[in-house]
Amino acid sequence: MDVLWASGPGQWSTVREVHEALAAQRDLAYTTVMTVLDRLSRKDLVGRRRDGRAHLYTARATRAELTAELMHGALDDFTSHDRGQALVAFVGEASPEDLEALRRALATLDEMT
Amino acid sequence: MTPALLAGLAAALAWPLPALLARLPRLRRTPGPALLLWQSVAAAAVLGALGAGLSLVTDRAWRESPGPGSYVVAGAAVLVTGVVAVRLLLSAHRVGTELRTIRRRHREQVDLVGRRVSDGGVRVLDHPLPVAYCLPGMGGSRIVMSSGALGRLQPDQLRAVLLHERAHLRARHDLVLEAFGVLHRAFPRLRSSGLALGEVGLLVEALADRAAARAGLARPLASALQAMAEGRLPAGTLGVGGTALAARVVLLAEARPRPVQAAALVAASAAVLLLPTVFVVEPWLAGLG
Repeated sequence: MDVLWASGPGQWSTVREVHEALAAQRDLAYTTVMTVLDRLSRKDLVGRRRDGRAHLYTARATRAELTAELMHGALDDFTSHDRGQALVAFVGEASPEDLEALRRALATLDEMT
Repeated sequence: MTPALLAGLAAALAWPLPALLARLPRLRRTPGPALLLWQSVAAAAVLGALGAGLSLVTDRAWRESPGPGSYVVAGAAVLVTGVVAVRLLLSAHRVGTELRTIRRRHREQVDLVGRRVSDGGVRVLDHPLPVAYCLPGMGGSRIVMSSGALGRLQPDQLRAVLLHERAHLRARHDLVLEAFGVLHRAFPRLRSSGLALGEVGLLVEALADRAAARAGLARPLASALQAMAEGRLPAGTLGVGGTALAARVVLLAEARPRPVQAAALVAASAAVLLLPTVFVVEPWLAGLG
């Protein structure tokens, strides 16, 4: 995935190109790369296009886009209260009044210690 | 007698008692035993409701010579019991599969875009908004922090947050929340199911907060709460669940061993579960034999 991200949006790479880039750092089988790319494309994280006999792959979204999407998903989950939560947040949503109450509670904590 | 007793018990456990428990904030000072009590009340309510139906059936239909009226009552009881049981099972199935699907997909994405940091299971997302959460799961749990959170927290605050999240994962708090989520989904119109879910959510946080407090990091944890909450303000804010923040800090300030209250709550939890079994279900079972 890093290789596809590095090659930039709209750039299509073959399995061989991705494999060559990866093999420089790690010992990876060509078929492994092929399997991973195939799996990523099924999860819709990677776009696939046929070019003659080879498949070409590209990243669907940049790393930043995916991160933002993930964060929004997580924040939505923290604020949904009608079902069990999938993620347990350290801090949920807070209003200015809540923050004021929090500040007062902190002051009390400080007085005690 | 048995069906009426069990039904009355289930009704009491399903509404007045949870309402009372939720109005006793001092219970939160012993979060562990309080959590236990909530769990036994919920379990006893469900068992009582199912038991009432079943015992009514045997009461009416297993007589020497049941009349047609008895069969009607017994049939209705089977139906009601069945509805309760099916609702619970369906809800458990739905909540369970939903949570697992969301978590699995979330974990895949976190592993993809998150940076792996040295200590196990922690992933960092490059995003300015400060968030920290844990992603429980059988297939490897994760603690996720945003770079915004890392930037805001001092080293001891960060350690406190990590201790808090690790405590959640170690104690499998997600399972407790899931069980109460199932109850709430099964009986959304029962106000106590929502109350219970909210209260249990707070207790679980208080328990995880204590894990950090035990390491001497109560103050850093409290200020970490503030730092994180403030950073989130611009992101659109509705005061839901936020009031719990101040409550958590108050609880940290009050944290000290309370053996008497703890013992009383543990005893109450056991009583809630055992007494109906001994006094109501036992004679009924004996009567059947």
